[in-house]
Formats: sequence, C-alpha cells, structure tokens
Amino acid sequence: MRGMGKKKRRYWIQGTAVLLAGILFMMPVFLIVMNAFKPNAEIMLSFLSFPKSLYLHNFQEAMRLMNFWTAFGNTAVIAVGTVILSVIVSYMAAYGISHLRGKTADRFYLFFVLGQLVSIHTVMVYISVMATRFHMNNTLWGMILIHGGFNSAFGVMTYTGFLKSVPRELEEAAAIDGCSAFQIMTRIVLPLVKPTTMTVSVLYFLWSWNEFLLPSILIGNSDLRPLTVNLNMFKSASGTEWNYLIAGLTLTLIPIFVIYILAQKYITNGMMAGAVKS
Amino acid sequence: MSSSLHKKNTRFYLILLIPAVCLYCLALIGPLFMGTVPSAFYDWNIIKAKRNFIGLGNFMELFRDKQFLTSLVFTLKLGIVTVTLNNIAAFTISYFLNERIFAKGLTRSMFFMPNTIGGIMVSFIWCFLFTNVFPKMFAAAGMESLAQISWFGSGSMAFITIVVAAVWTGSGFLMVLYLAGLQNISTDILEAGEIDGCTGLKKVVMIQLPLLMPTITINLFVSIAGAFKSFDIPYAMTGGGPAGATNTIALNIYRDAFSTYNMGYACAKSVILFVIVMIITCGQLRLTRTKEVQM
Repeated sequence: MRGMGKKKRRYWIQGTAVLLAGILFMMPVFLIVMNAFKPNAEIMLSFLSFPKSLYLHNFQEAMRLMNFWTAFGNTAVIAVGTVILSVIVSYMAAYGISHLRGKTADRFYLFFVLGQLVSIHTVMVYISVMATRFHMNNTLWGMILIHGGFNSAFGVMTYTGFLKSVPRELEEAAAIDGCSAFQIMTRIVLPLVKPTTMTVSVLYFLWSWNEFLLPSILIGNSDLRPLTVNLNMFKSASGTEWNYLIAGLTLTLIPIFVIYILAQKYITNGMMAGAVKS
Repeated sequence: MSSSLHKKNTRFYLILLIPAVCLYCLALIGPLFMGTVPSAFYDWNIIKAKRNFIGLGNFMELFRDKQFLTSLVFTLKLGIVTVTLNNIAAFTISYFLNERIFAKGLTRSMFFMPNTIGGIMVSFIWCFLFTNVFPKMFAAAGMESLAQISWFGSGSMAFITIVVAAVWTGSGFLMVLYLAGLQNISTDILEAGEIDGCTGLKKVVMIQLPLLMPTITINLFVSIAGAFKSFDIPYAMTGGGPAGATNTIALNIYRDAFSTYNMGYACAKSVILFVIVMIITCGQLRLTRTKEVQM
C-alpha cells in the first residue's frame, strides 16, 4: 500500500517537475513567437509580457523584406522534391541490398554506411565547382539531386534494417500467385514498411527545410533562394530591427512545428526502433 | 524455392541499386575522390585562373597557417565541450523521463522539438536572447555584473553562446536514443539491484550506465560526427568572431573557397577535416565497443 502511494506521488510530482523543465527548455521558442506580435518599442520595454494586441504589421513587413512567398515556394519545392526522390531511391537500393546474397550485399551496404562519415563540408568546395560545370547551380533540381545523394546513406541504412524483418515467405507466396519481382516490391513489401517510409520522409523534409549551406553556395539568383538563406540575408541587412526578424523567424518555424506535431510519433518511434535494432 | 526466386531476380536487384549509387557518387564519392583529394595538391584559384601542381605545398603551408591552427584547436575544444554536455544533458533528461509519470509524451516533445529547428533559426533565437532578453533579465534581477556582459564581444563569451545553442538543439536527438536504451534494460535487473540496496546514483553508475554502453557508443558516434560538422551555428551566431576566436574548420574552409577562392588550399583543409573525423570516430568506436557489456 505504501509503495503504491509512493508511485502515485512520483507520477504527479516528478511528472510536473519534468514538464516544467520542458516548458523552460522550450521558452526560447515561446518568447520568439510571443514577441513577434509586438511593435519594437513594446519588445524593448518588456519581452516577457503577452502582446497587448495582435500586431500583425511585423509579419507583413517581414514577408515583404524576406520576399517570403517566393522563398517559401522554393523551400517547399526543394523539400518535397527531396523527399520524393530520396525515398524512392533509398527504398529501391535497400530492397536490392536486402535481397542480394553474400558479399555483394555486404559491400554495397558498407559503401553506403561509410558515406555517413563524409560531411558536406569536406566536399562543398568541389560540389560548387562541379555544379557550375554541369549547370546545376541556380537550379532547384540541382539542389534536389545533391540532397538525394547525401540522404541515400541514411535511407538505405534505415530501410535495410527494417526490410530484414519482413517475412520472405510472403514474397514467395506472391511470386507463386504470379506477381512479378517489381510488383512484389511495390505492392506487397512497400505497404509493409510504411512506418519507415513515414519516418524517413519526415526527417528528409525537416533536413531540407533547414538546410542552409548548400543553397547558399549553389543558389545566387534571388528568385530561387530558400527561406533559410533569405532569413540570413535579412538578419545581416536589418541589424537591430528585431521585431521584423523574429516575425520572419516565426514564419519559417511554423511549417517545422506543424510537420513535427502531425508526424511526431513517426519521428520518435522510428528513431527508437532504429536505435534498438542497431 | 527462395534461392530460385533469388537467382531469377538477381539482375533486377542489382538494377535497383543504380539510381542510389549514381546520386551517391554525384554528391559524395565523386566530389571527394575526384575533386577534393586531387585538388588538395594544386595551387588553384578560380579568380586568378591558375591551377598548378604543387605536391604537398598546401599541406606544408597549413602547418604554418596560424588561422587554420586556431580554428583546428577551436573545433576540437568546441567538439569536446558540446559532445560532453550534450550527452550529460540528454542522459539526465531521459533518466527523469524513464518513469511512469504525468504528461510524459508532451514533456518528451518539449525536449525534442528544438532538435527539429535548423541551425540558422537556432542561432537567431539565441542571438535574440543573448542580445535582448538576458541583459534585461539580469538587470531586473539586480545582477548588474551579469547584465553588463557583452556576449558577442569576447572570445570566451562567444564560445559560451555557441555551446548553449548547440546543446539546446543537439540534446533532444540523443535523449530519444538514451530513452530507448533505458527502456530496454529489464526491470528484473533493476529490482534485483534495489533489493540489494543499489538505488539512486549508485543504480545509475553501477547498473544503468554499463548496460547503456551500446547506446552510448551510438550517441558518441552521432554527436562527435555532428560536432565536427558544426557550421551553421558559429556562422550565423558569431560569424567566427570576435577576431576569429570562434572559427571552426568548416567555417575556415568556407571562407577560403567562397570569399578568397583559394580552392586548392580549401581542398587541402577539407582533406585534413575528413581524416580527423575518420580517426576520431573509428577510435571512439573501438574504445567504447570494448566496454560494452554482454547480457
């Protein structure tokens, strides 16, 4: 009986304490969003108070200065394109690897795993040179292709791990029923790995939404720049006009939070499943 | 049966690999082995339109380049501090979350969410806090000496701002992995330990940490690799300043390649960065793998 009481107390007390710590941890984000609705004078006066009224001028001005809708469109095209290309390519490769036998499969797997050690900074110099040579700079498809290449290492690893748990008998039964190898891959196995597809897609989306270095190297044309690059230029240009800057920041953050809230179970569950397996 | 199915389709499986291998070579393997590595032996400047083979010249110069050596030391320092703090923070949070507690899912999200925000945005959030919020907060609390600090004015303060931002955004990912590891430890072991009087901090050190070794291996791998790639946060927060005090290697390469266009020299630095990351991650994997406990 006393043990129960202790457990119950822990449930509430430790729960509340950790939740408060979590709110404190997220405080920077709350402060940014809250202050985005205030005029500059009000921010300087008190950053902790709730906005007195919903002052939307900051957002209008930030959108104008950041060329928001164009940049938003570019970011969205890059992110969606990257997700589609990377998911298709890494699923195909992982499917191939998990069905090949012996040393060939191991070698290909290792080939992709080692890629995780190569950071973009070690190759960025040459990527920019190469992009100019192949006319891939100042194009959104160039960004998508290079993202796809960088993402394939992670996708192949994650899918291969998950594909191991799909029972082979299922595929054999489908083959007896007259399914071609391609049909087995797309109609039988693909639906089974849907959770992995969700995890991988969400992470790819967030990574490309947040990417800054690659577009800042490859894209000079102001009509093709994504949000991160415009936000950075906006910061260096506006200096101390924090009200506009944090309004722009809030606008850039909103899609990230929407995606996270909608897909959070896939992110954390997928990561935990992957961690336990490896 | 299964082997005949396999044999019939081997060609199909190999074809499936082609797109991924092509993209992978385009983005990584090609630029690394056909671009970065050979170019490191050239005196190559795009603006001056010269490209001469100079052998190990770039590397010889690197060891005399004070700016590069400072950035190398800074990257190592930043790496050690952020990797340590990241892992301590992540483990502590996951330790308190690993119980049947109220609003667990919500709390976990609160700690994970900063991890979904990109480096550029993270930097701006913390720039706002350090320049506007903290000085006023300390002044209001009567801590004048803390309120007077110019966070981006000196190297050591700028270092702190970078570490704070990096740990804030980095620990969430590691926390989820630690949480998964902690949940994997069987309750039998913990209960047996508790009966023997192994509770509290003793339980953490004697039971949980040794059994978490596989997770620690993964987390160190992830965070070390991440630390050497730190670019966005130093770039957007301090720009490497004041006076180059917070220059990372990645930032250093970026400046060489895209403001002075010394491509060959930048490639030589990239090769060094690549080799360092390889050595450290491989060394770390060997070291922690041997400490893993088999259950």
